[in-house]
Amino acid sequence: MLTNVFTKTTRDRWLGWLIGAAAVALMFLFGMAVYQDIDLSLYTDLPVAFRTMFGIPENADVGSLAYGAIYGSYGMLTMAALALATGAASIGAEERNGTIGLLLGNPVSRTSVLISKAASLVILTAFGFVILWVAAIATPAILDVSTIGLDINALLFAMFINALFYGFFALAISAWTGNSSLASGVSAGVMVVSFIAVGLLPIVSGWENLAKVFPWYYYQNSQPVMNGLNWVHMGVLVAGSAVFAVIAVVGINRRDLRGQSVGVKMIDRLRANHYTHAIAERFAGTARVSRIWIKTASDYQGFLLIVSFSMFLMSIIIGPMYGLIDAQLKDFGAAIPDAMLAMFGGGDLSTFEGFYQIEIFGLMAPLAVMAITIAIGAGAMAGEEKRNTMGLLLANPIRRSTIILQKTITMVIYASIVGFATFLGTAAGATIGNLGMSLWYVAATCILATLLGLAFGGLALALGAATGRVPVAVFGSVGVAFVTYIVNAFLPLSQNFGGWAKMSPFYYYLGGDPLLEGLNWIHAGVLSGLAVALFALSIVLFERRDLRAKG
Amino acid sequence: MTIAIHTEGLTKHYGDVKALVDLDLDVAAGEIFGFLGPNGAGKTTAIRTLMDEIRATAGSATIVDLDTHRDSVAIRRHVGYVPGDLAMYPNLTGKDTITYFSNLRGGVEWPHVDELAERLDADLSKKVGDLSTGNRQKVGLILAFMNRPQVLIMDEPSSGLDPLVQREFQLLLREFVTDGGAVFLSSHTLSEVQRVADRVGIIRHGHLIALETVSELRSKAIRRVDLYFDGPVDAANFESIAGVRDVEVRNHHISLSFDGHVETLLQAASDTSTLIDITTQEADLEEIFLTYYRDEV
Repeated sequence: MLTNVFTKTTRDRWLGWLIGAAAVALMFLFGMAVYQDIDLSLYTDLPVAFRTMFGIPENADVGSLAYGAIYGSYGMLTMAALALATGAASIGAEERNGTIGLLLGNPVSRTSVLISKAASLVILTAFGFVILWVAAIATPAILDVSTIGLDINALLFAMFINALFYGFFALAISAWTGNSSLASGVSAGVMVVSFIAVGLLPIVSGWENLAKVFPWYYYQNSQPVMNGLNWVHMGVLVAGSAVFAVIAVVGINRRDLRGQSVGVKMIDRLRANHYTHAIAERFAGTARVSRIWIKTASDYQGFLLIVSFSMFLMSIIIGPMYGLIDAQLKDFGAAIPDAMLAMFGGGDLSTFEGFYQIEIFGLMAPLAVMAITIAIGAGAMAGEEKRNTMGLLLANPIRRSTIILQKTITMVIYASIVGFATFLGTAAGATIGNLGMSLWYVAATCILATLLGLAFGGLALALGAATGRVPVAVFGSVGVAFVTYIVNAFLPLSQNFGGWAKMSPFYYYLGGDPLLEGLNWIHAGVLSGLAVALFALSIVLFERRDLRAKG
Repeated sequence: MTIAIHTEGLTKHYGDVKALVDLDLDVAAGEIFGFLGPNGAGKTTAIRTLMDEIRATAGSATIVDLDTHRDSVAIRRHVGYVPGDLAMYPNLTGKDTITYFSNLRGGVEWPHVDELAERLDADLSKKVGDLSTGNRQKVGLILAFMNRPQVLIMDEPSSGLDPLVQREFQLLLREFVTDGGAVFLSSHTLSEVQRVADRVGIIRHGHLIALETVSELRSKAIRRVDLYFDGPVDAANFESIAGVRDVEVRNHHISLSFDGHVETLLQAASDTSTLIDITTQEADLEEIFLTYYRDEV
């Protein structure tokens, strides 16, 4: 193993792990405190599907619920995501950055570099779980919650092994292909599908055993926090990680290293082919570089496709689903405290509008639109500076404001497409489920979600235009979104702070109950005004400053 | 003489760091101006200020009589620019890249682009991300030349180019100024500037410390002189002569730099021992450059 490669890799990524693990630990503290104050029967009475998926044991008490649901489910997903991001970056990121050549220019073998990266993955994962372990021991002591009968060490060990499984899975793909995006995408996809399948398959009669195909089963099924470790299941996961490690070693040694090459995509092959050249050119050739906004649209079209298609599918499913679980929902909704509902955007679960609000419009729709607008907002200005292309762009006879305006055009169009996809999905879902929702009200809600997304996209654009730094633009706008979401969701629960919600853009999104009341023009005006003001501010900020030499 | 680029007291500070101080210079149409200096001297800062990427702390500059800040958009219609550390969009082909930037200017003159690509041996069908540094630089050069600008501003334009392409590029520059264009070219490759530039500015720590024609610089007549004798020689006999420096002695051979009267040197040589052979070389800019930096290097 190469100590310096190991040290550098660990040093580069420890902060991400610290933040991720600390966030899970805080959520655990918050969750355990909430569970102390509420009637837990609302969880234990949940349909089996919900309970299995979110790791809620039968007859749960405060402790088992907090460990099972928050650590075992949300925490596990977070830690596994950190592990797979670390594994994916191991080799692929070095190749993408063009540093692998420099690294292997030294008298070191590819295998030793890979082993150092793998060791760093293990240490970082262990570091994350040490934080979780400390929180797992300290929190019940602080809150005076009994942990008798709970095997905390078994839970954390099983989580650790499960996280490593996804880390090594991503490492193997990264080492085999040298493509870190592919590695993180595939492993995250397998993780999420596996998580959902293991939650849902056991409740479908005759399909129970199919869950065993999915790796998440070997972490969750034995419920380590209640029953201790199932060594056979742990053995399956460890063996899986070992196989991935071997695949990674073989993979890195068998292939040509990638340079900073961007690779050949399907569209490139179509452009090169004599028969498909003409049609492919229309999509990928000169057409996509005819304007700045079109090129920006072309850069984000894949992301748009994924986000809008996901929103379409999710919102279409909710309609028929409501019909299936209508009765349970009414009881469930009545039992859930306002604070918990507020966390997901509020809504009355006994009505289908409320169900849609909780499932789609409360959190998912604004998240989806913001994902697009913040990505474009941050990437548009700060991204060009980071890639060092802004100088070349501005060598042309165009104003700086033109660039901002053109990027804004893309942002507005793309936000509208996500909003429209959500509208189409919801309209279709409501029709299939025969819910009789007002399509105009659905449209009003989607318009407001789009405007909300544009306001935060405008913020990302302004931060990027002011600083030229992508992380400032992304984390700044996401941070403000998070805080204002909390302000809108939780402050109204207190009589004293109720009015503060109006400080939050989220208030102007669902505050007027658009699914029930239709479009509140004043609210729409506030969100539009905010977005326009931020776009204008971006122009002022960008016009007056020096371009960064390199992002 | 038409002045293409004019700067007056152009100054750029980054906090306490004085990246560029009181730069006064003119570049005429029909002239290649070489801007020389070591890394971090302020060359790129000067160029980025001219291109309005960064704003001057004090002073002003004009390009084709337009203010570089106030009229920056208008100026860019007349300027071809190659930034230092050139970066482009890796997922676009060279052709896509050229189309993209041409569209921002109002169209491509493809026959001209094709001619440039042929002369520079550039492959425009590959994605920029798959090109080597030199081949990527060729795309950057085509971008600078393609709209037939009046002024070319280039920051280290020869980076990564092989010698044959460098020669072609220098030919392009020469044709460009013959047609009345002006070139502002930064470089630390002295031999390149020596070959192509008409005038040279030398910059150090943000200060312009010399501004002369290439021939004037050469006329400073620093020569590398090698003297061969039939017996051992003593360096002390030469070190005292005005204009002599860097004296090295190896047995019967003495090597030195000299910018005084040759007669004095020959006199000293014949007083020392029997002179068998003498060779002199005209100093290149490298040596002149080092002379200017003698106290600082």
